[in-house]
Amino acid sequence: MRPGPIDVEPLPKAPPEELRRAQEQRLMAAWETPKGLRYWSAVNNTQVGLWYSGLAFLFLLFGGVLALVMRVQLAVPGNDLLTAQQYNQFFTMHGTVMMFLFAVPIFEAFSILILPQLLGARDLPFPRLSAYGFWSFAIGGVFVCGSLFFGAAPAGGWFMYPPLTTAFQKGVGADIWLLGLSFIEVASIAAAVELIVGVLKTRPPGMRVNLIPLYAWYVLVVAVMILFAFPPLIAGDLLFELERTLHWPFFDAARGGDPLLWQHLFWIFGHPEVYIIFLPSIALMAMIVPTFAQRPLVGYGWIILSAVGTGFLSFGLWVHHMYATGLPGVSLGLFSAATEAVALPTGVQIFCFLATMLAGRVVRSVPLLFAFAGLFTFVIGGFTGVMVGLVPFDVQAHDTYFVVGHLHYVLIGGALFPVVAGLYYYWPIVRGRKLSDRLGRVAFWLMIVGFQVTFLPMHLTGLLGMPRRVFTYLPGLGFDRLNFVSSIGAFVLAAGIAVVVFDVVRPKRGEARCARNPWNAGTLEWLAEMPPDKPWGVRSIPEIDSRYPLWHQPNFLRDVDEGRFYLPDAEEGKRETLITTPVDARPVQCLRVPGNTFVAFWAAVFTGGVFIFATFHWWVATLASGVLAFVTILAWLWTGTAVVPEKPEKDVGLGLTLPLYQSGPRSVGWWALFITMIGDMTAFFSLVFGYFFYWTVHEEFPPKSATGPGVFWPALALALLAAAWLLTQLARGFNRRDRYVEYYGALVAGAVLAASGGAALVAAPLRTGLDPTAHVYPAIVWVLVVWTVAHVALGLVMQLYCAARRLAGRVSAVHDIDVANTALYWHFLAITFVTTIAVVAGFPLLA
Amino acid sequence: MARRAGPPHMRPMAGKLEGSCRGAQLLAALPLASGCGGAQSALAPAGPAAERIAGLFWASAAFFGLVWLAVVALALYAAHRRGTPLSGRNAHRLIVLAGAVFPTVVITGYLAYGLSLIPPLVAQAPEGSLRVLVAGERWWWRVRYLPPDGPGVDLANEIRLPVGEPVEFLLESPNVIHSFWIPSLGGKVDMIPGRVNRLTLVANRTGVFRGACAEYCGASHALMNFSVVVEERAAFDRWLASQASPAREPAGPQAARGREVFLANGCGACHAVRGTAADGTVGPDLTHVGGRRGIGADVLPNDPASLVRWIERTPAVKPEVHMPAYAMLPRADLEALAAYLGGLE
Amino acid sequence: MRAELHEKNERLWVIAVSPAIWATHFVVSYATAAIWCAKVAGRDGSLSGARWAIFAYSVAALAAIALVGWNGWRAHGYRGGRIPHDADTPEDRHRLLGAATALLSGLSAIAVVYAASVIAFVRSCA
Repeated sequence: MRPGPIDVEPLPKAPPEELRRAQEQRLMAAWETPKGLRYWSAVNNTQVGLWYSGLAFLFLLFGGVLALVMRVQLAVPGNDLLTAQQYNQFFTMHGTVMMFLFAVPIFEAFSILILPQLLGARDLPFPRLSAYGFWSFAIGGVFVCGSLFFGAAPAGGWFMYPPLTTAFQKGVGADIWLLGLSFIEVASIAAAVELIVGVLKTRPPGMRVNLIPLYAWYVLVVAVMILFAFPPLIAGDLLFELERTLHWPFFDAARGGDPLLWQHLFWIFGHPEVYIIFLPSIALMAMIVPTFAQRPLVGYGWIILSAVGTGFLSFGLWVHHMYATGLPGVSLGLFSAATEAVALPTGVQIFCFLATMLAGRVVRSVPLLFAFAGLFTFVIGGFTGVMVGLVPFDVQAHDTYFVVGHLHYVLIGGALFPVVAGLYYYWPIVRGRKLSDRLGRVAFWLMIVGFQVTFLPMHLTGLLGMPRRVFTYLPGLGFDRLNFVSSIGAFVLAAGIAVVVFDVVRPKRGEARCARNPWNAGTLEWLAEMPPDKPWGVRSIPEIDSRYPLWHQPNFLRDVDEGRFYLPDAEEGKRETLITTPVDARPVQCLRVPGNTFVAFWAAVFTGGVFIFATFHWWVATLASGVLAFVTILAWLWTGTAVVPEKPEKDVGLGLTLPLYQSGPRSVGWWALFITMIGDMTAFFSLVFGYFFYWTVHEEFPPKSATGPGVFWPALALALLAAAWLLTQLARGFNRRDRYVEYYGALVAGAVLAASGGAALVAAPLRTGLDPTAHVYPAIVWVLVVWTVAHVALGLVMQLYCAARRLAGRVSAVHDIDVANTALYWHFLAITFVTTIAVVAGFPLLA
Repeated sequence: MARRAGPPHMRPMAGKLEGSCRGAQLLAALPLASGCGGAQSALAPAGPAAERIAGLFWASAAFFGLVWLAVVALALYAAHRRGTPLSGRNAHRLIVLAGAVFPTVVITGYLAYGLSLIPPLVAQAPEGSLRVLVAGERWWWRVRYLPPDGPGVDLANEIRLPVGEPVEFLLESPNVIHSFWIPSLGGKVDMIPGRVNRLTLVANRTGVFRGACAEYCGASHALMNFSVVVEERAAFDRWLASQASPAREPAGPQAARGREVFLANGCGACHAVRGTAADGTVGPDLTHVGGRRGIGADVLPNDPASLVRWIERTPAVKPEVHMPAYAMLPRADLEALAAYLGGLE
Repeated sequence: MRAELHEKNERLWVIAVSPAIWATHFVVSYATAAIWCAKVAGRDGSLSGARWAIFAYSVAALAAIALVGWNGWRAHGYRGGRIPHDADTPEDRHRLLGAATALLSGLSAIAVVYAASVIAFVRSCA
């Protein structure tokens, strides 16, 4: 079916008053926000985004209080407010909470809240996925923070270097860090899926790629970064937890392991992570500056350069956190080169903002004030970053307060200030009123002065010799006064934040509601009506002709409000939005998105249970939770995905009819799986990297004494699994041709072959006597095998699911999303098992 | 004698500030810093590597400070100006010149300079240089001098170096990751289990400096430091020879009593005092502990009262350390121990 | 509308090709240097072979980036278009993607040169 047309005119006349009212009633019925306890079953981006943002800000405050206590401890030398052990938990939790529970989630939260509005869409493409992400974040975050109140918090620093954290910290803290965070990382992958599909497939018709709002460009880049950055950490977490729980020696030098592998995996995540935090915040500035310069942004193409360029280059920096580890100078030089290179795209966008202001007529406002605060502060952090990017300078500054200064300048300047700017800017969309100008200005001055007083001296403190992560220091070394000044500044900064909090929570009942589009902005999110009590998002989905439709398209507000564009109605009472092509946004499908449900909540609870019970080694509870999670997710998929619609297509308005069901690469579900599997592959290849890393650091790898895994069992596994893959691909064809006997046969045979292939693969290390606790070689072979077999098991479940779906009439020759997705999954699985077998069986033959 | 005055940070700062401290004079005008800092400062360099880096810091800070001021000025101007807005073409030119061309030129030069400093940083020390093996323990420094001619000399928690000669440190750790850092002389290198890393340093002036552990290594990471004394070659040779010799005999009845207490209470199971029966290697070598500037890896000064406090209340002074507290010993015994250990110069 | 500008023939991911070339160059150079130093030359050994390899990778990468960038530059100037490319037409969409491709190619080229320059300064595996 060919995509629909773009550059279509809206209806020439408004529909009659009665029809419009009926349409609004039907839209309201379909999109209504539930009340009472059922409120928490909402999956609409407005509710989920609100909860996500609120919770992330609460974690910011929690992390901030930890910092204040730390600064009191460090205000004078030899202080005893906190013991060493308490302080070590505090600094670990401060970093962990700020990075994992505030900085990344706030970007996910804001995006969930405003991206659909920015794109004129009714909701994100996978609302329950966002809800699942939120609940996972909530459960994991509370769990990790709660540990502090039991004195059981992690105490290894936010990057938890082994062997300190694997072999010398026997308490449960490190496990809480690992497991509590692992499934927050899963929430981030879910966000990545939403945002990529959202930006590429749910744009309003006619919003060609050169008209996309810049915020969307930035979050698209960030979402792709997440797919490549978070999985290495997930892989590292797996190795880490296996070492702590089962004593597999990945980081234990005595048994062939190497602590440096953790550092590599962590920083391959950790460096892009800070850009994952920074880019969406700067994206807010790209929306705020044009509004207050009252003109379109200058340098749209340069912003794309900045976003995409920073996104790529940020993956080449990670070893700059490891300059002091004794790696060869040539390696350090390569990373220094990339570190300096990334300064270029980072700086360009700042000049785009300045150029826009110079080419416009600036209107001053609180959001712009905070944007300026961000700019001034971030630029300093950028310069100190260029300095520590040089190896000779870094070897002095590394692990000192200089770096603490630098990182706070880039994170608070590049993330927190813009987020506060975004809070003041977007508050009207959430609440229908503006926050206070006066309080905003007070907060601005307190925060910017407090921040500089706290963190500027730290650059000197560090070079005067104060290392990081010290619970106290001795007097007379030259940093007494500097520390005291930093501590005073911290309270001033905290006062500023308190003013913002007060501004948000104070009752505003008596105040006037603001006008629609109070800032006179040009982009689609400002279609929001005041008060923002319409749960359906946009009244009708517009055709776009400009980057700033509210400024440049005549009668735009009227046309949207009167339903003169697409989907002005919800005739079947369903929640609907449009799917469009990635390049020119031609409409291709009317997507039905789910309404209120608790299934995402329960799935998060049970998945969370798996991680939480595993932390305490309560294996029965872990298993029970796992089974419940599995059942819940299956139920979610069975009842709520790939739903066969009551009719093949519907009229979406303006004379256009679109299908309600798309299959294969046209289906958003296929995209979601593809994107998720990219992340999965990245984690897998991180484990493969581990294998080859050990090869580089050992004289002989595999070691001479290795007894396996041999060639026979892996080769057998390869044959069986390849056959299973083939049958799965054939099954798709059989289904399309309605050859249901062959279809069921192929799937069942495929499942049997998958099971035996998995068993053969396990037999390889098992039957050759590879003991994963003895040396890192057997351990890494076992990890690759276990990873592969777990994925084969999932592939097997999918095969049986496809058979069951057809039996139940939910899959047919035409409606075959499940089968197409299973076939896609098996492609990725094939890459996995072929690689594993080539590495564990083939490489020893070469080495 | 000088060593009794305590670790360098415990004594008031004396003498003029050295090296490239020009920028610090600006800051010293604000009551923020004590100029370029003390014995643990990278901005009070005592070696060519540290000097280069300190110079790089001041030059970079000045240059980038000016660029930042220019950006801030431009931003404030943009926010406040009235009158005709800049044309689209000129705005675009600003982005190209100020946002792309200028930074590229600066960063290219900066990177080239930084890369040129890598080979000397990682180069091996010349043949025949003094080598010192340092292992990071929790939370002290196990030191073994490896002179090119002669046997190894074991000590702990203090480093002495001959001025003007390159010294190669071999750095390892049998437990967790630590980092060996003498800011006055140069950058740090991590001590990673399973690896032997190396660091070559040269001091070009005599003096007393301080080193620190710069990688979080557990509860008492903040209390893992060491003194660094740079002296003339002749003085250094004398010191090394005396470190190699067995322990001095106790100098009086109290010290003699101290040695009895030491041997009777199992101290020798962990600590070595060469020339006596004490030969443990779990804890620091105490053969010449009396001559060190600080005790407990520079957590306390080396004086009798501190020694008593250390032995009597070890975990209170330094959390989670492996040495148990000897609070059960009578006061007289503790003081005798202090006298004995203080006499082991 | 000209067929060549139809969205079927436009590839959004083209803008990422030059950065991907940079990334490949970076990873391969790092792997070459690391494996050379770990397995061939040893600590303090000479980087000789690895330096030649990295030089070759750099030449290849820059050539490929130049090609992609040149195509982008031509697309950017397609039929005399001027910035900003914000018209709602396939021509402007084509021009914007070309401009982004050209800019990203320029950046990627600089980053490849930066990485390659390491071999001018560092000659041993120390």
